[in-house]
Parts: sequence; structure tokens; C-alpha cells
Amino acid sequence: MENSIQLVEGSTSKKVFWSALGTGIVVLALLLVSFGISGVAYAVPIAGVGDFYVEFDKLEGNGYTFFPKMGETSSEDSAPQGTNLIENLTIDHLQLYKDFKVGKQWIRVKITASKPVQITGLQHDAGLIEADAKFENLALKENHSEDWQKQFRQTSSKITLEHAKLKTHYLFQKTINMNGMRLTVEKINK
Amino acid sequence: MKFTKWRKSRPFWGSLMTLLSGLMISWVPLNLYLSTFLPGSIAIIGLLFGGLLTLIGVVALFFPNASKILGIFSIFLSILSVIGALGGFLFGTIFGIIGGALLMAWRLAPVKVNVPPPTDLEKSAHTF
Repeated sequence: MENSIQLVEGSTSKKVFWSALGTGIVVLALLLVSFGISGVAYAVPIAGVGDFYVEFDKLEGNGYTFFPKMGETSSEDSAPQGTNLIENLTIDHLQLYKDFKVGKQWIRVKITASKPVQITGLQHDAGLIEADAKFENLALKENHSEDWQKQFRQTSSKITLEHAKLKTHYLFQKTINMNGMRLTVEKINK
Repeated sequence: MKFTKWRKSRPFWGSLMTLLSGLMISWVPLNLYLSTFLPGSIAIIGLLFGGLLTLIGVVALFFPNASKILGIFSIFLSILSVIGALGGFLFGTIFGIIGGALLMAWRLAPVKVNVPPPTDLEKSAHTF
């Protein structure tokens, strides 16, 4: 004679659980590896670092706009600087560095890219730009505005800078593709 | 006791994990939004993924029959959330994958409950 009755209850199938978990982790790993290979980082603001230097051999960009502004640096709340907006650009032999004073020593944090760097949606606030520059369709324009930051605009369809050194206060990229990136931290004599 | 019964009739732990991962994933873009209004930000995608995962967690509690398909969705969304939301610094993604796997593996299974053997009196009652 049957001495038991049938009831249903929630239970977890171990086989399904482990295979689903495994699949999920493999797909995640593939995604991360593909990021690693293409070297794409999204929405990278390097703000608040302030007063760092950007040097490169050559920059070629399209859709360039420049206007003056007052902005924050690591030493002052408000310092005169210029905003450069470039829609898309390629940079050869990029070097970014910042020097920190730690006690009595100076330490330099340096990021270099051995291969061409591709950037879209660049905003770059600089206090000083030294370079051999070439422009196409360069236009300098004054606007009538109460806001002094809107009174002057410089635009060009194409910009080429060579052997450049830029003192930078703020850098924002929508996407940046850095192949052959290297980050070093070293002691320097100043 | 009533809670245990309620818990056992649905994929409780899977839903809870998915819910947590959804909240973790939304936390990163939410902070990005509140502290900095990034121009042309893709953080909105992260917010969308986080919100959907939270919703899946809640839905799975009330519609246990759909737990398999909800599990597949939550694994998919938590992996994609790495883009735009950093996947809640990857913790959200890991939680989401575990939660999704738990949801997928959940099912209603028969349990055997032993009842005391019938007494002689009951046996005789059955025969007549």
C-alpha cells in the first residue's frame, strides 16, 4: 500500500545552475577580453588632476573649436585658460605626465602610447599651447554677447599640430583608444 | 513558518540576488549623474540596465513560472551592464549572473512526505 502523498516544492537543479553560471562567466570574460584587446575605455574624465602636460609628435583632428574661459586648476580656483573642442582626432607618440611633490622629492606619473591614439569627443582646457600648427578653413569670429566667454570663437574644419607641448587643466574624452599604453611612476630631479 | 512556505513556492534567493545586483548596477551611473553632468553621457544605459534588473528581481518573486526566461534575461543584462555602468564595479555583474543562474535552475519538483501508516481500524474501514 502507498504510504506517501505527492507534494510539489521549489528546488534548484544543480546541473542547470552550474551550467548557467559557467556560461555567464565565460561570456563576461569574453567581453572583458575583447575590451582589453581593443583598448577602448568609455567616458574618461581626467579632471581635478590639474596642471599636467601633454606632449606628442603629431595630432590630426577634424572639427576644431577654441574659446577662452576661466577655470579651476590645482593651485587656483580660477585661472585664464582656453577650451579646445575636437570632434575626432588621431595622435602619434602621445605622452601625458604630471609631477607631484611628495615631501622633498618630485614624482612623475607618466602615461605613454607607442601606437597612434584615436579619440572622439575631446574637451581639453589648456593654459599654454606650444606647437607647429596647421589649420584648414580657419575662422576667427567675434560675437556680440554679454558673456565674455562667448565673445570670441576660433573654428577650423581640420587641425594639425606637430611637436606640441600643452599645459593642461582638464581633459575629457568620450572614447579613447590607446594601443600600446604604458603607465610609469618615477622619481625625477627638479 | 508561513514565510518559509511562501519562500519555497518561488525562486526567492535568485530573485533577491538579481534585485541586489540591479541596485548595485544603478548605483554607479546614479552617482555619476548626481555628481557630474557628463556631456553626451552613456551612463543612461547603465541606469536602464540596473533598473531592468531590479524589475526582473521583483517580477520573479511574483511570477515564479517565468523564472527560467527571467533568469536568461538577468544574466544577459548583467553582463551588458559592464558597458556604461561598470557593472556595479563588477560586483553587480557577478551577483546578477549568480542570481540569473539560480532563477534558471529553479523548478517545482515533487517531494515525498511520509504519512503514518494506517491503523488496523482504518484498514478494516477501507475493506468494507
